[in-house]
Amino acid sequence: MPFRKIISIGVIYAALLALPFALKLHQQDFMIILVINVLIVVSYRLMTLTGEFSLIHVVLMGAGAYTSSLLAKTIGLSFWLSMPLGGVVAALLALLLSFPLFRMKGFYFLIGSFAVGEAIRLSWSYFDFFGGPKGVKLIPSPHLYIPGLGMQDIWQPIPYYYLVLTIVSLGLLVLYRLEHSRIGLTMNAIHWRDALAESVGVDTWRYRTMAFVIASFFAGIGGALLAHYIGTINPVMFDVTTMVYVLIWVIVGGTNTFYGPIIGVVLLSILNEMFREAEQLRPLVYGILLLAVMRFLPNGLDSLPGKIRDYRRRKLDSDSVDAAGNAPSQAASGSGQPSTNTIGPN
Amino acid sequence: MLEGNVVAVQCTSSALYRPFALYLLFVHLLRHKETSVDLILQTAVNSMVASSFFALMAVGLVLIFGVMGIVNFAHGELYMVGAYSVWFLYSANGWPFWLAVIGAFVIVTLIGLLMERTLFRPMRGNPLGGLINSIGVLFILQVLAVQLGGVGLMKTVIPPFPGSTTILNGVSISDQRIAALIVAIGLLVAMWLFLTRTRLGWALRAVSQDSEAAALQGININRISMLAMGLGAGTAGLAGALISPMTRVEPYMGHGVIITAFIVTIVGGIGSLSGAVLVAVLYGFFYTFVTTYVSGTVAMMLGLLIMLFVLIVKPNGLIGVRASE
Amino acid sequence: MGITRRDILKAAATGAVLSGVGLPKWALGAKRKTLKIGLCAPLTGEVSAWGLPGLYGCELWADNVNAAGGVKLGGKHYDIEIVSYDNEYLPDKALQGYKKLVAEEGVKMVMMLGGDTWPGVQRWANHAKMLTTTLLPSDLSPDTPYLLAPCEVHPIYNVTGVDWLSRKFPQAKTVAMCAQNDSLGIPSVATYEAAFEVAKIKMVDLNIFDPTTTDFAPIVTSLLAKKPDVLCLDTAYADFVNLISVQAKNQGYKGKIISCTCDNYPAIISKTSKQFMDGFIFQFPDFDDPKLNQKFINFHNPNKFYKDYIERRPGTWTAVSWEYPSILDLWKYGAEIADSPEPMSVLKALKSKPTAPHAFGTAEWWGKDLWGVDNALVGNWPVVAINAEGKARIQEFGSIPKWWDKHSKVLIKHMRARKQMWDQRA
Repeated sequence: MPFRKIISIGVIYAALLALPFALKLHQQDFMIILVINVLIVVSYRLMTLTGEFSLIHVVLMGAGAYTSSLLAKTIGLSFWLSMPLGGVVAALLALLLSFPLFRMKGFYFLIGSFAVGEAIRLSWSYFDFFGGPKGVKLIPSPHLYIPGLGMQDIWQPIPYYYLVLTIVSLGLLVLYRLEHSRIGLTMNAIHWRDALAESVGVDTWRYRTMAFVIASFFAGIGGALLAHYIGTINPVMFDVTTMVYVLIWVIVGGTNTFYGPIIGVVLLSILNEMFREAEQLRPLVYGILLLAVMRFLPNGLDSLPGKIRDYRRRKLDSDSVDAAGNAPSQAASGSGQPSTNTIGPN
Repeated sequence: MLEGNVVAVQCTSSALYRPFALYLLFVHLLRHKETSVDLILQTAVNSMVASSFFALMAVGLVLIFGVMGIVNFAHGELYMVGAYSVWFLYSANGWPFWLAVIGAFVIVTLIGLLMERTLFRPMRGNPLGGLINSIGVLFILQVLAVQLGGVGLMKTVIPPFPGSTTILNGVSISDQRIAALIVAIGLLVAMWLFLTRTRLGWALRAVSQDSEAAALQGININRISMLAMGLGAGTAGLAGALISPMTRVEPYMGHGVIITAFIVTIVGGIGSLSGAVLVAVLYGFFYTFVTTYVSGTVAMMLGLLIMLFVLIVKPNGLIGVRASE
Repeated sequence: MGITRRDILKAAATGAVLSGVGLPKWALGAKRKTLKIGLCAPLTGEVSAWGLPGLYGCELWADNVNAAGGVKLGGKHYDIEIVSYDNEYLPDKALQGYKKLVAEEGVKMVMMLGGDTWPGVQRWANHAKMLTTTLLPSDLSPDTPYLLAPCEVHPIYNVTGVDWLSRKFPQAKTVAMCAQNDSLGIPSVATYEAAFEVAKIKMVDLNIFDPTTTDFAPIVTSLLAKKPDVLCLDTAYADFVNLISVQAKNQGYKGKIISCTCDNYPAIISKTSKQFMDGFIFQFPDFDDPKLNQKFINFHNPNKFYKDYIERRPGTWTAVSWEYPSILDLWKYGAEIADSPEPMSVLKALKSKPTAPHAFGTAEWWGKDLWGVDNALVGNWPVVAINAEGKARIQEFGSIPKWWDKHSKVLIKHMRARKQMWDQRA
């Protein structure tokens, strides 16, 4: 099994490395932003492992973008320091906010995170320090020393794509390892049996905070990567509309598996580009798709294989049942996999 | 290059000392120290109009949440559809204004009922699922508005009452706002009477307090859900219809409204109708006064922080009686 | 106004046909080659009023030029095709759109609204050496050698309105101003501050509001509390001008109003009254104005253009409806001098002389003192006022260079105070 996994990941990466050369110029930009968004949705999923959905992830992404841009612009800090610091500031902000926010749960947490996120975003727009509504302009691009070539300015799409791909892959690796470590399993346990986990001595607050802080760190990194590529950021880029899109990607993709959100963001982004010509109809496609997924695949697209397996098994069962003339032994469950998140009807 | 950096550093250090909102409030109040009675009165009049609309929006949200446990993120879009209905019926097709307002109420109520049957009923008691479904509706309604009226400049809804009334010297209010205010207050009173004086209203409140117990009493939960959703959507539609001659009628007009409605609902205690109305009045005054004396951005920021504070300290709301999960 | 449902259906049908891959041109069987010009502007969302009507105008311009035989360059006849990309007024979308237009569509010039979207594009535009235009000269700096502001010199022309007001109504002594806090509003604030200082009109209140404001009653209340002689709306979004004016009327304001724009003013009149809007001063004429038929006007047949536009796209005319087409006029002029459509040749041809034909008469390349580069075309600008019949009419053409020669120090002072000089924006 692991061998098959390694092979398939190898194939995907080979394709990803070759891809930019097959793409048109503006599609390369599309890929850069898509890869950044992959980091955003996968880190968001870490949050959801503990059972909490927040509406502040994109604002923390913005916090990383603002930190890195302002450090690079005002004191001329190198990208290689400002970008991780963007992640650190987003993580620290999350740590600070975890004290008030984790007094709430579920829906209240969702709305609370929205309130504080929107307040932070409005402060960027209000205070001149953050550049006001027009934001920060002329953010420098990263420079990298390449032996033989000297100092290189990485701003063209293909080099930046590789840079982003490398950093995002590292992030994904960390997130993946984390999920399959003891910590990740504990996080999952919290979601399942909050009271039970607490009764056996698990400090649920600590694990929730950990998930929130780590997720925010990667959101901040994603924001910094975006800022140094586009060269300008403004508060509107990190508003609740963007957050809603992230939420949709994650939910359509599904949060049960590591790859679920990735499927969501990739499929929906491509769909979005396909409907580029029909500008005004794009949100309609999103809306209908969202309702359809909620109706028919409430655990997201990543529950589809399970559903199919389930359907096949049921069909087999019913065939054999017909032959034997008994009632089926199994009740038809909604999904082949255990449903870890309660987005769908419960 | 170097010169640019120096300038930037100077900006930064001066900006670091820039004081925060409360201090700004103080400074602005000083700046307005010649503040006249006229200004205070005019602001109070503006506040009353704002309050009544906040209340209409919040009451609908609370009804829906109370009965179904679902937060309707598309509530702002129902308000938008109300405004668009008036534009379409009254401005584009020449219906009388009041008929168009009633038409808007009917249209939005029907949309609400449809949402309840197809989207919210399967999600009852599942806040996140309902929220996601309402986001889907939000997108669809926005696109429909764009298809109907296009984008660009706002839709023109000519006020049926173009005049304005001077209350005191220097304090005046447009007749359109007076009319909207009267209707909004009338509607809230009617709703209060309905909820407290009729059997159906009593049943609705019973479901809102404890749906299981209510079901055991023989109350049909599905019927009550449809009633709550119809009423909730209808009031949002009416709010949009009434405000359409005074505001920017465009496909995304629901966005700003929903945030305010959330603030009012949460601070009032989600699920509490009296709390929502009371907080809507208070917040209407707070928001309008801060906007007049300081800035709209600061007003919104403070509103969000108040909401956060309430969520942390007293998640049932300042006035709320309903227990949280 | 009476828009009927049939009108809406008709408009929708027209839209559907027009968006259908430019069929008419092929149907005519013309065998000419096509030159593409890009428009990378907000076509959806909040700012679309300053993008979409521009696209409509450009399509009309292209149809007119093509019907008259196209553009003749290097002995060949070309048809013009306008290719648009909706940048949603977001910098990342603008960058993608810009690349698509330049690298894939092969456009010869890109027209943009500028503002928030330009910084995302700047570096790549320089790299691609692409001739680009903006409606906001505040995007200009010495780092933008290929960016021109060939039509609108926002916000500098606002001085002409204030200058006219002060001569015509010398009794006006105080002004209260509100402005939205963004890259349109703030440079404009500095300009109005300078213009009012020169005109010796005292600013008694300045209210800078957030662009997401929906209710203007509180803002208007605080402005009117200062009992100003003049109310100045700065460069507010078209819908904001509408809402603020209606509020001012409802709160009993009777003084003068001056604003940068007043798009779709018949709608405002229908919500207020002809009497209230009488004397409203702004800077954008209707193109059916007889004063635009004067000899020095370079815009080709403005009255007919306006009539055709209104027929094609009723109710959508805004300032940008003629501005982007006027940039196309200038491009055509430059391309014909260069006898080539290549972007750098056209740019060189345009800048080869110190002056060029601007829509409102010959104007000079200017801007070094404010933007660090002489890439803005500055000359006359009309002062428009609404008359008693509810029609906007040009009152005079004010000369921006003349004002500048006398008062440049005042303007620079205010621009610096608002951190709008190019060296402060870097």
